[in-house]
Amino acid sequence: MSATAVRISRETPPNTSARESGRRGRRTPRPARERAFWPFLLPALVLYSALFVVPALYGAWVSLHRWAGPGAEMSWRGLGNYTSLLQNEAFRSSFLNTLVLSVGGGAAVFAVTFLAMTVLRQARGRAFIRSVVFLPMIISAIAVGAAIGFLLNPDGAVNDLLGAVGIEALPWLGPELVFRCVIAGLVWSSTGFYIALMMSAVDAIPPHLYEDAHLSGATKWEQFRHITLPLTWDVFSVAAVLWVVNSLKVFEIVLAFTTGGTPGNPPLEARTVAVQQYITVSGGNTVPELGQGAAMGVFVVLVTVVLIVLIRRVTRRDRVELS
Amino acid sequence: MNPVHGTRPVTRFVGDVLVPRLTSAALWLWVVFNLALVAWVGLQSLKSPGDVWLHPFSLPSAPEWQNWSRAWQAAQFSKAALNSVVLTGAGSVLIVGIAAPAAYALARSTRRVAGGLTGYFAMGMSIPLQTLIIPVVVVKLSLSTFMVDWVTGWWDDRITLLIFEVALSLPFAVFVLSGHLRSLPQEVEEAAELDGAGPLRTFVQVIVPLARPGIVTVLVLNVIGLWNSTLLVMVIAPGEDERTLPVALLHLYGTMQYSSDWGGMFAGIGILVFPMIVLYLWCGRRIVEGMTAGIGK
Repeated sequence: MSATAVRISRETPPNTSARESGRRGRRTPRPARERAFWPFLLPALVLYSALFVVPALYGAWVSLHRWAGPGAEMSWRGLGNYTSLLQNEAFRSSFLNTLVLSVGGGAAVFAVTFLAMTVLRQARGRAFIRSVVFLPMIISAIAVGAAIGFLLNPDGAVNDLLGAVGIEALPWLGPELVFRCVIAGLVWSSTGFYIALMMSAVDAIPPHLYEDAHLSGATKWEQFRHITLPLTWDVFSVAAVLWVVNSLKVFEIVLAFTTGGTPGNPPLEARTVAVQQYITVSGGNTVPELGQGAAMGVFVVLVTVVLIVLIRRVTRRDRVELS
Repeated sequence: MNPVHGTRPVTRFVGDVLVPRLTSAALWLWVVFNLALVAWVGLQSLKSPGDVWLHPFSLPSAPEWQNWSRAWQAAQFSKAALNSVVLTGAGSVLIVGIAAPAAYALARSTRRVAGGLTGYFAMGMSIPLQTLIIPVVVVKLSLSTFMVDWVTGWWDDRITLLIFEVALSLPFAVFVLSGHLRSLPQEVEEAAELDGAGPLRTFVQVIVPLARPGIVTVLVLNVIGLWNSTLLVMVIAPGEDERTLPVALLHLYGTMQYSSDWGGMFAGIGILVFPMIVLYLWCGRRIVEGMTAGIGK
């Protein structure tokens, strides 16, 4: 049955396409299921356009205005919101923090990932290691932050342990150290994802390449340098872009580490752009400045694009094909 | 020994022994830390408040299971748990229900517009959520005013939240599902069509069963995403009755300097984390594959 069905379906085209091409000049016929194209697509298309794309464009429009929200008057400001962003100290420090997080955190994440790649190809229990290291990815950053925040409390367990060894207690979540803790927490919780990602590329490398290299006297480092790295470079390039995109929207973990009372009011030293934007929008006691907040959003998109182009350029090189 | 290469395998102490050994040891330490942290949270949640604070690394003297029931019953938490369950359940089903037909249409169509639309959906994956905060607030405010006028009484922020979560999750779901559908053979559905099945019937009876692995993966990923969603909840549904579990936990944690129900707080963390750990134990590999799908070649 299915054999004939397939044959028939292969033979049908000429007849229908003659009819169709006469009408619209198209080469291929439209199978029956194509009739469902728009009905199937429309719900997703409408929802996505109306609540995602249009709002995003509207956000860009709002960023050119001074606006306290619906009901308030919206007045044209041009690029004023952007220039005042650059003079806004809170924004500057949150942006600088985000950059430090993005670059410094990224260096740490990929250093650990590369090290893990050299070992995880063959190590005993590698599947187990990979899955446990990935685990924090599925756990709410708020939960992680609350648990670790408890440990890092000034009178908390970590300082107790340090005290027992004779090291002076440190204000981990105080203004000077909190952002380093945020970066460390983020590196800890997200590196597992990049390991999983890169290892899926490593798994695709034929093992005989390593055997040949080993036989011809290549050290582990040379094997990594000349086999693993070139053959996973494309995936690394994508992973680096992903890290940058993700690091620019870090939000929850900052709140969880700095929640000493009211959520949503972390100290300046610990704010990321996402947090700063949330504060600007939710307003607190002041009038919300939606134009400013929207400008931050657009600014982040621009920075994202610039960083993506930069990463792509730096990591671009001739593709290595397996013969 | 390979005569062509003519050299013998060399082993260098630092590069071939020391560094790999140290790296393995570090990875195992990391594994132990992760597991210990999970176990530690579990143990803390069974302690009396004093023990949680004063003896954070001891075993609970007598397990206080009432921490869990107390955390669950605390008005905020039972409401938040219900909100989380409804949002996660309804949201993930809606996302797949809307994304799957769209992905099917895009994956199988020969129309020229299909390629453009696929790119149009994919674009959404590179727009960070935070750029949408302002417009989302604005749309939410006007939507709820309009809806309250229109259907007084039952419209609230939770419905707005659900709709936004669904809309914002569509790009990724469509991307992964259409990639998955493209990898499936077409013969069966062509046979079904020739048997006279309409598009809808072909989709429900042939495509959905065939694409089950991909659909389950997308479902699970959305369950995780919705369950842990924080920023959007704080922006759209910040009210005490509308909070989901992560936001409720954040508030509970925030009040810890006034109250000191530490056992309850750790039980709260447990309530938030435990379902996801069970899910991960149940289908961990599928989650990892789904998250890395379409990126690795």
